[in-house]
Amino acid sequence: MAGIVCRTASQIISSQASCSSSVLAVRHSHWFTSVLSLKTSIPLRAEPKKKKKVDPRREIMMKERLKKKLKRLEKVPPELIPIEDFITPAKCFDETRIRDAPKLSFEESERRALLLKEWSRYKYSQHQTEMDTIEEALEAQRQALDELKLESEELYKAAVSSDMDLFPFQREGPSYTPPITNYEAPEGKYNNITRVYTQ
Amino acid sequence: MAAPFTRVYRPLWRIITTTTLNKGVRNVSSTRQQWSAQNVKTAGVASPWALHGAVCLQRLPVVSQDRSPIEDEFMELMHQMELERSLLSDHELRLLEDAARMSRKQEEESDEEEEDYRDKDIFTAQDLEDIWEQKLKQYQPAQRSQGVDEKGVSSSERCLAESLILLVKKDVGSQKLWLLPQIQWQTGETLRQTAERALASLPGADLKATFLGNAPCGFYKYKYPKDIQKEGSVGAKVFFFKALLSGHKHLPLEKNSFAWVKKDELQDFLKPEYLKQVRRFIMAL
Repeated sequence: MAGIVCRTASQIISSQASCSSSVLAVRHSHWFTSVLSLKTSIPLRAEPKKKKKVDPRREIMMKERLKKKLKRLEKVPPELIPIEDFITPAKCFDETRIRDAPKLSFEESERRALLLKEWSRYKYSQHQTEMDTIEEALEAQRQALDELKLESEELYKAAVSSDMDLFPFQREGPSYTPPITNYEAPEGKYNNITRVYTQ
Repeated sequence: MAAPFTRVYRPLWRIITTTTLNKGVRNVSSTRQQWSAQNVKTAGVASPWALHGAVCLQRLPVVSQDRSPIEDEFMELMHQMELERSLLSDHELRLLEDAARMSRKQEEESDEEEEDYRDKDIFTAQDLEDIWEQKLKQYQPAQRSQGVDEKGVSSSERCLAESLILLVKKDVGSQKLWLLPQIQWQTGETLRQTAERALASLPGADLKATFLGNAPCGFYKYKYPKDIQKEGSVGAKVFFFKALLSGHKHLPLEKNSFAWVKKDELQDFLKPEYLKQVRRFIMAL
C-alpha cells in the first residue's frame, strides 16, 4: 500500500517536474522512498510481532505438567530388589539331572542310624565339657575380682571398667596347613559378574 | 562355742564381707582366724598383700586339629548322604555325555568325522579334570605336623594344632621356678598395665600381644616363708590377665628361661598349688 502510494506520488512528481531521468530511475527503485511519502522503514512493513505475554504462560504450564508427571512417577513404590538366594535357578528343575537313587542294604541303613546316634552322644559330651570349662573360667574370674575388691577399690573399678580398644576384634582362625614363610601368592584376576540392583 | 556357730554361717559371712566396703569390719581378728581355719589360702590379720600382675600369653592354634575316628566316620557319612541327595552338576553331565559318546564311537564307526571335529575343538571333561589335578600338584603346601618334638619347648612353632602358654623361669626367694611372667605392681598403674609391663620386661623377647579386657581372669595367693615375713607383708597376690599372641614371626627365645607349653604339659613345669589355680582359666578345647 505504501509502495503503491510511493509510486503514484513519484509519477505525479515526474509529470509535473521534468527531472532528470536518472533521478526518476532512482526513485522507482524500492530502496529509495520518496521524500513526500510516509517514512516507513522496512521492518515496519512486515507483519506485526506476536505479543510476548502468551509465551511465559505457556512455559509455566509446561513446567507444571512435568512436575505433576514426576510426582505421579515418584508415588509409585519402588520395585523390590529380588533376593537371589530365594529364587531356585531353573537348572534345579531339570529332569535330566536327577541321580538314580541308590538302594541301601539293611546293614548300611542300620550302620547309618547307629552312627548318627553315636554322633549325637559324642557331641553332647563335647558340649558338656565345653560348658564346664567356660563355667570354671568364669568362676575363677569372679573370685579374682572378689579378691581384687578386698585389696583396693580403685583397682577393682579399673578392672571392671570396659575396654574400649578391644572391639571391633578381628582374628584369623586356624587353617588346614600352616602359612608358608615368604610366600608370594599368584595374582588372582577375576571377572566380577554379581548383579547390582539399584532402586 | 563360737567356732561351730560361725562355721554354719560361713557362706553368709562371706557374702556380707564381700559386699561391705569397710575393711575394718572384715579385719576383726576372731572371724578372720576362723575363716582362715576353713580356707586353705587366706590372709593374716589386717595385712596388706604385695600385688603382682601376671600375663597368661596364649599362642592360639595355627592349624586345625586332626579328626577323631568318629568324626572321620561321620564326615564320610555326611558326604555320602549329600551326594545321594544332590542333582547332577554341569561337569558330571559332561562326563556322562563324553562317556556315552565314546561308547557310541566304539560301537558304530559311522559319524566318525563329525565326532572327530568336535573332539579336537573342545577338551573332554576328563581332560579338564587331569589338567586341574596337574595344577594342584604344582602347589606345595607347608607341612601340617612338624614331626614329634622336632622343635624344642622354647619355640612358638611347636604343636601348631593346639594353643600354647608362655612360661618363664624365675628366681623366687631361693628357688628357681617356672611361672607365668609376673611383675610387682607399682602405685599409680592399673593391674592390666602391670601385666603389660610384665610382658614387655621379659629379657630378650619381643612379643606383641592383645590383652583381652581389663579384668583379671584368675588369681593366686601365697604366703612368704616365715623368715621373710615382716610385719607389713605376709604374702603376695598374683592376678593373671589373658592375652593373645599376635604376629607370625618371632625371634627364638632362650631355651632355659622360656617355654611354650600345652595345657597337659603344664603339670611338668608348675608347682601343684599354682597349677591348680592356673588350670581353671586356661581353656584347651
